[in-house]
Amino acid sequence: MAFNQLVRKYQQKVYWHIRKMVIDHDDTDDLTQEVFVKIWKNLENFRNDAQLYTWIYRIATNECLSFLSSKKRKFFLPLNDVTAELMEKIESSPDIAGDEVQLKLQKAILKLPDKQRLVFNMKYFDEMKYEEMSEILGTSVGALKASYHIAVKKIEEYLKQD
Amino acid sequence: MMMKDMKLSDIPKRNVHQVPEKYFDRLPMQIMERTAAREQVTAARSTPWWQPVRYAIAPLILLLLFVGVYFFSMQQEQQVLPVNIASLTNDEIMNYLNTYAQVETADFEEYSVADQELTAEFLNVSATTAEEELEYYRINDIDY
Repeated sequence: MAFNQLVRKYQQKVYWHIRKMVIDHDDTDDLTQEVFVKIWKNLENFRNDAQLYTWIYRIATNECLSFLSSKKRKFFLPLNDVTAELMEKIESSPDIAGDEVQLKLQKAILKLPDKQRLVFNMKYFDEMKYEEMSEILGTSVGALKASYHIAVKKIEEYLKQD
Repeated sequence: MMMKDMKLSDIPKRNVHQVPEKYFDRLPMQIMERTAAREQVTAARSTPWWQPVRYAIAPLILLLLFVGVYFFSMQQEQQVLPVNIASLTNDEIMNYLNTYAQVETADFEEYSVADQELTAEFLNVSATTAEEELEYYRINDIDY
């Protein structure tokens, strides 16, 4: 498959996977491009024992987590301040549209730790199988199920709050 | 439904995030441009290894020269090691003094006029001339 075709096939999956994690469109745009540059540079090292989309998702996931942790380091901000910044974007960004319940759900998701948020997004929004998630995240299926279960509980608790 | 009774399964799944119009039409082109730019950077970086090295040769030679001089002087200093006087025999000390002590004390020896072949010009100097000479060299000003 030519690289241009690969980009067209996977661009939306990569973009939305990143967008749900970093919220801001400009950051997502930059990270998405960076993910594809990394794919382009490492395509010849890609081993066929992993599925292409699993490999691409793994690169995108690592890029997201690195970005979020560097953001916390760069601004010397504790975890809550980065979360507060992202929540502010949810409320004020013109690129986000939803009713009260939807926005509250987004804020509840933002309250989760980064890795748990990843698990929740992949299961809830992308409806991925635990086995696929396990390959991408390098975590056991049992741990992923537990993580998702806890995430749902936390979100429902948040939704009950005024 | 009140939010207090709400479960996650009650909320319809919706993507609340939006992208600028035709964003996904433009994105592949932007990615291709970025990869092309990286390719150029990679090509620029793959210049022969000796290209940057040649700029470092002159300072490297200077550095080696300084290091060489430094170690040479260190070796010279190490060769003049202090001798432990307690370990020397009396004969060795006497031999040393006989050989070198005269030279060191020569400056303090009284100048024996009888032993020297002094010129008449030196001996016939008047007191006034000697005074002028001393004044000229400001010998009187030197504080010993």
